[in-house]
Amino acid sequence: MSMLNTITNYAADYFPMLLRKDNPKFVTETGKPVYGIVAEFDETPKVFKAAQKVRDAGYSKWDLHSPFPIHDIEEAMGFKPTKLPLMAGGAAIVGVTIAVLLQWGTSAYLYPTVVQGKPFEAWQPFVPIMFELGVLLTAFMCLFGMLALNGLPRWHHPLFTHDRFARVSNDRFFIVIEACDPSFEPTKVKKLLEEAGGQHITLVADSD
Amino acid sequence: MTQIATKTANYPAPDSTSMTEQEWEARLQQIAADPRMSEENTTISSASVRKFAIPMFFAGLVGLVVTIVGAFSISPRHALGAFEVGLFTALAISLGSMFWVMVFHSLNASWSITLRRQFENLASVVWLPALLMVIVALIEVFSGGILLRWIDSGDEYNHLLEVKRPYLNPTFFMVRVLVYATAWILISRTLLAWSKKSDETGDRRLGRKARRLAGFAIPVFALTCAFAAFDFLMSLDYRFFSTMWGVYYFASCGLASVSAIAIVAFMLRRAGKLDGLVTKEHSHDLGKLVFAFTVFWAYISFSQYFLIWYSNIPEETAWFYNRQAHGYQWLFIVMVAGHFIFPFLLLIWRQTKRNPNLLAIMSLYMILMVVMDMVWIIRPMVSFAAEADGGEGAGIVGLLVDIAGVVGVLGIFAGVAAMKVAKSPLLPLKDPMLHESMKHKNYV
Repeated sequence: MSMLNTITNYAADYFPMLLRKDNPKFVTETGKPVYGIVAEFDETPKVFKAAQKVRDAGYSKWDLHSPFPIHDIEEAMGFKPTKLPLMAGGAAIVGVTIAVLLQWGTSAYLYPTVVQGKPFEAWQPFVPIMFELGVLLTAFMCLFGMLALNGLPRWHHPLFTHDRFARVSNDRFFIVIEACDPSFEPTKVKKLLEEAGGQHITLVADSD
Repeated sequence: MTQIATKTANYPAPDSTSMTEQEWEARLQQIAADPRMSEENTTISSASVRKFAIPMFFAGLVGLVVTIVGAFSISPRHALGAFEVGLFTALAISLGSMFWVMVFHSLNASWSITLRRQFENLASVVWLPALLMVIVALIEVFSGGILLRWIDSGDEYNHLLEVKRPYLNPTFFMVRVLVYATAWILISRTLLAWSKKSDETGDRRLGRKARRLAGFAIPVFALTCAFAAFDFLMSLDYRFFSTMWGVYYFASCGLASVSAIAIVAFMLRRAGKLDGLVTKEHSHDLGKLVFAFTVFWAYISFSQYFLIWYSNIPEETAWFYNRQAHGYQWLFIVMVAGHFIFPFLLLIWRQTKRNPNLLAIMSLYMILMVVMDMVWIIRPMVSFAAEADGGEGAGIVGLLVDIAGVVGVLGIFAGVAAMKVAKSPLLPLKDPMLHESMKHKNYV
């Protein structure tokens, strides 16, 4: 059920006219739902150590924003291995199966035609199509699966309402812990980010 | 701001030839001071290598003796066929390693530096398969063609053979074989010599020289490797021709050599050497290459089979027809399922590649599959020729000769290669990009 909720919440970003998000757990003084709490860092080692702290505190819905890729940050943030390879593998199997059924069904049973005197059910000519269709569906799954998993593309992001966030493309690093995290507790989060050395800790409202 | 500017100006180029002498000296000292670079960790004594090499030599000698006995008591053709199966597997390991060394040099690869000395070692023992290849060629020429039956086709006029005579004649054949052997030995020994020289002098320009040589030597390698495969493997049936043949043998070269290196790295790590220098990250990359060449081999061999099957020209289809008769049908299944589907499904998993033990097992299996590939190419021609004029050992005795030939060559080859490993440090100690390889990591 929580899986369905997550999907509905994701989809609500794209189709606000059709789907409504859950009632927010936390709201700002103006009544807007809370997106999360953001903290600013000015040096790479600081944000690296802060990421390890947030990871160790057990948060799962949080993110780190940086002007450039940081080596080993995936370990410091405690990334779990992505499910994309399994999805792509499934797509490959589906593609090969479709290719086999499509060709074998049509050329051996539904519409047997003599081509160059070869047997109707010869497997050799099927192989290139099996390969191509397998690769095609794998590539589609890699692209669209990646987009589905990271929630892209999107027109807007709540963090853009935070003025200081503009410097993320220049010389600042940001850690944001989202309100949808099950263990999100504003005072605790604020304290954790302060201890981790974050500056300008701000509550960011969701954009809608 | 000025500080940043100077830093940028001195930023080392990938191969560090733009560093000043002082900077280079400082880096060499830094690398030498690294605890991982201790003498204990980077050299292996010949005494500990002998523990592996002597059983290998022994197995090899027993194999060779059984093969020679088989040649005189059963049939020279059968024994030579078995011997060639081993020979061309050993040659594939050496040639492939030579190819990889040249590719690493020309692409300025840094991940492979800590493994490169082992590639160079396996490449520089190419003299052994090359020498055996020359001996096989001499036997073929002086016996009038035991397996290469085009050498003496009798008095009958044979149109197909006559039009191919300008290429397929014993004199030109011997000249070519000598050219291949010379080229391989020269290239591989030069690359190893330069690499060893940089260990002593720390001359970082030797890498540039090696890269320049690699650029010219890769086409030489491509041609000699392809034509050696034409001469010894394709011309087993002189009527047959396939433009894929050179690539087909090259795929085995690439596969057998990375598999062999994975095994060498595994054994060195087990002996407690190269600790922290050859890590599971290097194992992962070797595994990717094993996987890639498994798929590449399947791609090449299927392309060859597919075109021959479709165009249905008798001269070409005869090659597959002969192999799907004479009781070799099972080998076709071994090729499709054993050489491709099974390793594909296992090696696609990340964990198989990152676990050096699993990778070593898979590598051993892949070398066995390369042997089976050579059996698939060579062995049916023994039976096919034997049907015409006798000369094939049957049953368990025949199988014994088949195994003995392979064990004979590969045993001696493994022994010689192992002795070579002990002769120099286990990695290029003063390579300009060694520090990159020491901290190599896969981010995906």
